[in-house]
Amino acid sequence: MIPDEAMLMAYADGELDALTAKRVERAIAADPSLADVVAAHRALRERLGQAFGAASEEPVPARFAAMLASNVTPLPTPRPAWPRRWIEAGAIAASLVLAVAVGHQWQSGPVKVSGDRVVASGSLGHALDTQLASASGDTHMLVSFRDDRGSYCRVFATAAIDGIACRDQDQWVLRETRSPLHTAGSEYRQAGSADAPLMASAQDMMKGDPLDAAAERRARDAGWR
Amino acid sequence: MAAFEDELLGLVPRLRRFAQALSHNAADADDLCQASLEKALKARAQWEAGTRMDSWMYRIMRNCWIDTTRSRTRAAETFLPEEAGLEVGDDGARAIEARVELGEVAAAMQRLPDEQREAVALVLVEGLAYKEAAAILDIPMGTLTSRLVRGRQALMAKLGEAA
Repeated sequence: MIPDEAMLMAYADGELDALTAKRVERAIAADPSLADVVAAHRALRERLGQAFGAASEEPVPARFAAMLASNVTPLPTPRPAWPRRWIEAGAIAASLVLAVAVGHQWQSGPVKVSGDRVVASGSLGHALDTQLASASGDTHMLVSFRDDRGSYCRVFATAAIDGIACRDQDQWVLRETRSPLHTAGSEYRQAGSADAPLMASAQDMMKGDPLDAAAERRARDAGWR
Repeated sequence: MAAFEDELLGLVPRLRRFAQALSHNAADADDLCQASLEKALKARAQWEAGTRMDSWMYRIMRNCWIDTTRSRTRAAETFLPEEAGLEVGDDGARAIEARVELGEVAAAMQRLPDEQREAVALVLVEGLAYKEAAAILDIPMGTLTSRLVRGRQALMAKLGEAA
């Protein structure tokens, strides 16, 4: 059998059944130039994966996180506060969102919009206020530190969202958010699977060292002021 | 709990990646992402809990993309390198490198016919199995593989990776 390009491609992608794959392997053994074709297909996949991979590793932009905050409700009328280009594209349909969480924090999701900022709310807000890094639970506090303005910041991980929140007056402003690793399908999130890029961001924001357990407790007891 | 929004939020990084593979530049990609999320929020009643939300979202995004490209001229293509440069911002050196690499690969992707680009994006960028990609695009497996072969050959020729 001489495999055609489609079959070599499917082989490179691991799409062939075992029997057909064996045949392709035999053909490759007889004609090493076919191995180059397979290698080229794999190299291309690798290259595309790397080129576009960055997009999936960037923090989720606040505008998307805000759209999907579970306390937002679709509004029937468009508002002009969105990027001009987008309005010009004519695609601004009746689907803009507005936070309506006031007074219903206990029902809200982990984030809400406050003015033009995305802040922690509900169980996440509570955890940021009270939970020490040593505690376990659905929400993990990975590290607490002070940023260069002296505000307290905390890196957190929940089932729905990971991020860095910094204290500003009485709120936790989300400085960065990410989807947790491995959220696809039913894969269970492993405790302590700290998002390395997030920790790197924390490192950049950090003034001095992270708080140790005693300092974190003191900061909490003082209301993170 | 709003499980729907939470699951959707978890998909955003993958959706942004898919959007970039389809779009001319990062700004268009995020516009596409926003339009898709808006559509999903409106169509949430059609979402069946327990089925795969990623496939559902890929399909929504692909439809949004088709709607947009049909109504848009190709003029944006000319601006790709400049836009890519503007997006660099104050990222670290590694991110800049990734942007440059993205620019080259994205430019090659842009030159593919739409039907080849969407097949390549689903299989090579998103890592879906042929069967899943064919289902999302609503085409037979044979059509998917022939689009993939042609798309990949064109990319290899442009990116200098032909064997």
